[in-house]
Amino acid sequence: MNKLLTILLGLLFSISLFSQEKYTISGYVKAGESGEELIGATVAVRAISAGVSANVYGFYSLTLPEGTYEVVYSYIGYGEQTKTIELKGNIQLNVELTEKANQLEVVEIDAEGAENNVKSVEMSINKIDSKTIKKIPALLGEADVVKSVLLLPGVSTVGEGSTGFNVRGGGIDQNLVLLDEAPVYNSSHLFGFFSVFNPDAVKNVKLIKGGIAPEYGGRLSSILDVRMKEGNKKKFTGTGGVGVIFSRLSLEGPIVKDKTSFIVAGRRSYADVLMKPFLRSNLKDSKFYFYDLTAKVNHQINKNNRVFLSGYFGRDVFGSGFIFDWGNATATARWNHIFNDKLFMNLTAFYSDYDYAFGIEEDDPRDDFKWESSIVSYSLKPDFSYYINNNNTLKFGGQSIYYNFKPAEASFSSDGESNDISLPEKFALENGLYIQNEQKIGSRLTVLYGARWSFFSNLGKGDKQTFGDTIPGVRRPLESTEPIGKNKIIASYNNLEPRFGLKYDLDEVSSVKASYNRMSQYLHLISNTVASTPIDLWLPTTNNIEPQIADQVAVGYFRNFAKNKYEASAEVYYKDFQNQIDYIDNADIFFNRELAGDLLAGDGRAYGLELFVKKNQGKLGGWVSYTLARTERKVVGINKGDWYPTRFDRAHNLSVVSSYDFNDKWSFSANFVFSSGTPATFPTNRYEIQNIVLPHNVESARNNYRIPTYHRLDVSATLTPRKNVGRKWQGEWVFSIYNVYSRKNPFSIFFQQNADDPNQTEAIRFAVIGNFVPAFSYNFNF
Amino acid sequence: MKNIKISYLLIALVSLAACEDPIDLDLDSGRSQLVVDGFLTNENTIQTIRLTKSADYFANVPTPDENNAQVRVVGPAGVIYNFQTDDNGNFKYNPAANGAFDSIGYAYKLELQYNGIDYISTSVLNPVPNIDSMTVSLEEDEPGSEEGYYTQYYARDIAGREDFYWTKAYKNGSPAYPEDPTFLILSVDAAFGGEGADGLPFILPIRAAITNEEEPFEVGDTSSVELFSLNENVYEFLDQVTIQAQDGGLFSTPPANIRSNILDAAGNEQEEVLGVFSLSAVSRSEIEITP
Repeated sequence: MNKLLTILLGLLFSISLFSQEKYTISGYVKAGESGEELIGATVAVRAISAGVSANVYGFYSLTLPEGTYEVVYSYIGYGEQTKTIELKGNIQLNVELTEKANQLEVVEIDAEGAENNVKSVEMSINKIDSKTIKKIPALLGEADVVKSVLLLPGVSTVGEGSTGFNVRGGGIDQNLVLLDEAPVYNSSHLFGFFSVFNPDAVKNVKLIKGGIAPEYGGRLSSILDVRMKEGNKKKFTGTGGVGVIFSRLSLEGPIVKDKTSFIVAGRRSYADVLMKPFLRSNLKDSKFYFYDLTAKVNHQINKNNRVFLSGYFGRDVFGSGFIFDWGNATATARWNHIFNDKLFMNLTAFYSDYDYAFGIEEDDPRDDFKWESSIVSYSLKPDFSYYINNNNTLKFGGQSIYYNFKPAEASFSSDGESNDISLPEKFALENGLYIQNEQKIGSRLTVLYGARWSFFSNLGKGDKQTFGDTIPGVRRPLESTEPIGKNKIIASYNNLEPRFGLKYDLDEVSSVKASYNRMSQYLHLISNTVASTPIDLWLPTTNNIEPQIADQVAVGYFRNFAKNKYEASAEVYYKDFQNQIDYIDNADIFFNRELAGDLLAGDGRAYGLELFVKKNQGKLGGWVSYTLARTERKVVGINKGDWYPTRFDRAHNLSVVSSYDFNDKWSFSANFVFSSGTPATFPTNRYEIQNIVLPHNVESARNNYRIPTYHRLDVSATLTPRKNVGRKWQGEWVFSIYNVYSRKNPFSIFFQQNADDPNQTEAIRFAVIGNFVPAFSYNFNF
Repeated sequence: MKNIKISYLLIALVSLAACEDPIDLDLDSGRSQLVVDGFLTNENTIQTIRLTKSADYFANVPTPDENNAQVRVVGPAGVIYNFQTDDNGNFKYNPAANGAFDSIGYAYKLELQYNGIDYISTSVLNPVPNIDSMTVSLEEDEPGSEEGYYTQYYARDIAGREDFYWTKAYKNGSPAYPEDPTFLILSVDAAFGGEGADGLPFILPIRAAITNEEEPFEVGDTSSVELFSLNENVYEFLDQVTIQAQDGGLFSTPPANIRSNILDAAGNEQEEVLGVFSLSAVSRSEIEITP
């Protein structure tokens, strides 16, 4: 009997050891001064090597066995906080961290723990915060989100004046640019010279180039996730600046302290206002301006519920006898709901409208022309995070987007007789469902695995066109048109997109990471010009245009040096693309009802090596990034069906970004970029027709030459007057020079007959910015 | 709207520092090919088809003539019109011999024999509307246009069919745009294409294109206009000519070879002989500027 009792007691005792109760600590990590959530803040119990990162809304959830722990909350640029917690039940704990006062000692470059370079399973990701963006010398003194992203490894453009950017060999339409979860179709003002994001209102920018988690979908090559600030919950503050091109003002503050806050940020250009007194009378009606406005309100209903409302509205307007304007408008509503300590949900609903309009304003309405085009989308997107335990974080959710495309609503009048030349509207529904788990296995290995299933339908009311076959490279004839009724399916496709990532710690300071992702894309940018124009067309997948698909594999080695003072990485990637759109020679893109007959589909491949070193602390900070890469296409009907480099293929890409805090008054920054020339198609022969000299390429080659190399140095100096100290109004002067040594970086080379001697042909180098461009601006905050 | 020149205006407004300058380049050379420049009309004037050879891109002299070929046109009912070279690459035919090419609606076929190989091309003589009238008005100085007399011509597109036109403008008998031979006034129906343009009067941009804004007319000048009807493949050819010859800038499209409408003996596209064969009906009008 005693023996049985001992065994029973022993069993009970051992059971109680194994079934020790686990409890959860959860809550928000915020900045003390403003109440802004700290995205990705680290919550760690170092003693047992357990930790989690706060999510994009600042929410964290850490599950531990019953006991007492020292929990450290940290975020770079902010002082750490250690809380001693006696864990006997679930606890909700919100923590506020204080920004480190003395900015001069520690130059903040990264917005997330440098540790994440090595520790996080995320790879192929770069993050920049608002402070860094403002330090980088920029064109005409206007700090710019997208221009900063261009300095990261794996990112390039075709040159100044191109609106988008290329990531790891993908086209400019393959980047999903999100502004607080709503997509932005044209992320720039003024043909790419400035982006639509106001740096004063931006909190955090994350670029994901590979190993894309299942929660993202819809574009092949990257996700640019831009998060705006929520608005200071503690006190009313403002930031702004006056520059050569823009003026900006952003105001934020609490409506109900610690519960409700708002932020309103706006910018407007004023080159036209300044020029008005100098214009001749007939130009006085000309318009030339761009602006953007962001407004957000957020409210904490109770400890488990929070709502956010935000709107973005931006426009570019040009006109002088004609009007040409375009812009994005988005409205987003989000609801954060905490079900329990482990289950967090965000539900987003957004409306987005990208449109452009062109019209001729003649005095005589008998002759006029009007053209409008737009993409309107509505979406609902629930996302759940379930923190199962410290070793498993489950995320699942979905998204549904309904699109209404209006490629052209146009009409013209000639001598009083008018006519409608509109193109039919198109409708589509894009859905996605995903599930992923991030799992820690042992002390060194973390894996992220999951999949996204996407489903797209092109809907009526509309026409289903079928084209005939012909020699590849020649316009395909339209064979039949079948009208399809409202909301009936014209074509539908679905794709399973598996995603996988792993990280293995080699030691405390280094790790190896690998990832695989499959992405699919159902919207296509139709543009056969070198730089995309604001009037380029977005088309949905149809029975004639198949979804684009990309598979990417990436492997990298990550290492931090000198106690996280330096972070470094080396990554190689290989991408395989399917259904890439190219155009027959001399394709007709505008007002073409049978556009699909001018399109060709082919394969693509891109591969490269990215090297990156960043210095996080000290008076001298910055990074060096070098990419060696290749991107090519193979399309039957182009270049005789052989592989040819894409227009944005640049073999070498080097960026050096640096900033130096000289003393409490002056700081300096410089950046240097170097990239190989882009490919171009050059002729071999000439012939004459009707006194015109025409170029001809006897081999029908595409992109057989390279334009000369691109390199450029920019510098800037920031003066912070000493009288700022202790004062509410803080101001600073920024002086910058873009393209310091005035290099005429060629954007393109084209051929023409010499104006004086028509027998002579010449090659002309076109440089968008061929001189140095000085500027100054004044920034303030209060 | 095809060549949207506003893009240049916008870039000029914005680019404080853009520039263009010539550079030296070494290009590969390619083999020389036969080029056919054959624009014929339905009129009673000497018709010329010019044959040349293509040269290296930077040859910088007029391309060489080609005289070793047989050129003839076959009309409706099999009538043969032979062209004779003048030993300068110009193959000519005088309508006084067998009549002009004036059967509207009928196809005329070019038959070319070169280096022992036969080539053909077909052009239908499409109708062209009459030019109803021309107007003159005095305009003031404005951005992009000088002060002077501006003329327009009025014509109505032929309804019920898709028409392609080439308008040629002259000032005092010479081309109105001498500094830019690549500027061609091309149109589809009354406008630049699109379903709604059929049967309407030609739109303003086409009507007014006959006056060069940089050198408008003065009292005593004569503004004349010729309107040619084209086949669709000739319109495509000329459209590609304007794109390829005017290339450049931020919004240039990839250079591409211009597709020729000269076919092989079996009637299929071929890549050895370049150029174009076209037969047009012509309408003319002119107006003299008086005070």
